[in-house]
Amino acid sequence: MNDLTPTREQRTAALEGMGCKRKRVEDARFTQGRGNYVDDVKLPGMLHGDFVRSPHAHARVKSINSEEALKVPGVLAVITAETLKTVNLAWMPTLAGDVQMVLADGKVLFQNQEVAFVVATDRYAADDGINKVVVEYEPLPVVIDPFKAMDKDAPVLREDLAGKTSGAHGPRKHHNHIFEWTVGDKDLTDAAFRKAEVTIKEMISYHRTHPCPLETCQCVCSFDKIKGELTIWGTFQAPHVIRTVVALIAKLPEQKIHVISPDVGGGFGNKVGAYPGYICAAVASIVTGKPVKWVEDRIENLTATSFARDYHMTTEIAATREGKVTGLRVHVLADHGAFDACADPSKWPAGFFSASTASTPTRRRAVSPIVARSGSRRRPIASSAVWISWPRNSGWTRPSCG
Amino acid sequence: MAKTQKTHVTMKVNGAEVEGLVEPRTLLVHFIRENLLLTGTHIGCETTHCGACTVDLDGMSVKSCTVFAVQAQGSEITTIEGVANADGTLSALQEGFRMMHGLQCGFCTPGMILRAQRLLQENPRPSEAEIRMGISGNICRCTGYQNIVRAIQYAADKINGVEFKEAAE
Repeated sequence: MNDLTPTREQRTAALEGMGCKRKRVEDARFTQGRGNYVDDVKLPGMLHGDFVRSPHAHARVKSINSEEALKVPGVLAVITAETLKTVNLAWMPTLAGDVQMVLADGKVLFQNQEVAFVVATDRYAADDGINKVVVEYEPLPVVIDPFKAMDKDAPVLREDLAGKTSGAHGPRKHHNHIFEWTVGDKDLTDAAFRKAEVTIKEMISYHRTHPCPLETCQCVCSFDKIKGELTIWGTFQAPHVIRTVVALIAKLPEQKIHVISPDVGGGFGNKVGAYPGYICAAVASIVTGKPVKWVEDRIENLTATSFARDYHMTTEIAATREGKVTGLRVHVLADHGAFDACADPSKWPAGFFSASTASTPTRRRAVSPIVARSGSRRRPIASSAVWISWPRNSGWTRPSCG
Repeated sequence: MAKTQKTHVTMKVNGAEVEGLVEPRTLLVHFIRENLLLTGTHIGCETTHCGACTVDLDGMSVKSCTVFAVQAQGSEITTIEGVANADGTLSALQEGFRMMHGLQCGFCTPGMILRAQRLLQENPRPSEAEIRMGISGNICRCTGYQNIVRAIQYAADKINGVEFKEAAE
């Protein structure tokens, strides 16, 4: 070091952020308990909503009886799919071009699916209310293996898609099939495998993962009847998407909807999508004219909000004896759950990561075909596949290199 | 269903006498957040797993999501709102978390700081292993524990009048 070498302090001052430690402005608040998370939002006259959820993974809902629940002190309303149908809100769009039930419409497709929404004066009364809602179910056969989901006689999960031969991401070829996607040059790949000195084939399973932010998904919806404006405070990673979805289904112009993402207690992709709680709280606020808060508990968060991955990957490598990779075939069967709600469908993380990482040493065009297809089953709201946490993705590539 | 009879509770929270009417089933964390409007104490799991709701109750770290408010009758409680120095400046631990980037989303932070404060009172010079064991009931999902451990080491050194030296990165 000589006199011309700047000290760490000088470098920090000159760089103003790049390559040096910065103190975050929000930490002074967070370390003193002055955060402003959704559950900290309290409005005058605010009501609380809670869900009756399905104990079954696949069942027909034969009847819902709210009579006793409405007698519980503090319970004001019980909303079901039948209620929502009167305002055309029983179903909502997903980020992947699919649709999903807001509340169980005739059947449930995964355990802990939302069946009815109880609105009460406080969260304890709402909980008392959900325990008094009587739901009659007729259990149906479940599909828990994505390979068996594609069997000819596999139970039909999405009856609403009957007769539809294509979805937002391509053609469907089976009643539990969502899409298939292929990229690469098959002939070149086949040639690379024919000429290969060594070939390796391995079945790799990348298990289902849950983002599990420490703060669960929650919202406060407040509808101003006089202005006709809806304000939503929510644990949103993508507030603009939420505004669009709410505008689409509530038939309100976007400028009449205010979406506020205050401090968010972690997200990791879990808080990108739109969940039934947001819609039910908004409807409850519009109907009652009062603000309505919905706060998930941990079990609800883990069982009913978006998960990621759940890929079953068959990989084949063609290589020279010296270890130079000359070709790669990857076939991915991705479990997308009951409703396809991925912000980035499995074709992106499963398809592209295998192409861009594993194929780098060899000719890109010889890498193929990569197929991603998704078998629908009883899982909640699909493979969210929206991790922004890179170590998770590199974790995916490790087994195939090792 | 009859409306539940409420019980009168009194306790000292952050040095101030407080009271309120609660149902026997009301959780302490709900009393703190909803009745006292001290929203710095967070709820992450309601099952004692995550530690976001940790407060200091009569000299012990407790997870206030699995303590009934009536069980805290007559007790002394410290929440994150009562941690700063009397003159309003950040305590050594609060400063440590800020300086060492011991937080990201901030949701676990109040529980972490309350737990670390009790740990340092019980063991003023903890080793890294003792810190890790000491906060093992508190979960952070963003930052990872490396910087949280550093934040607690920073605070311990500051309290002990020792110059904090960051381990080489």
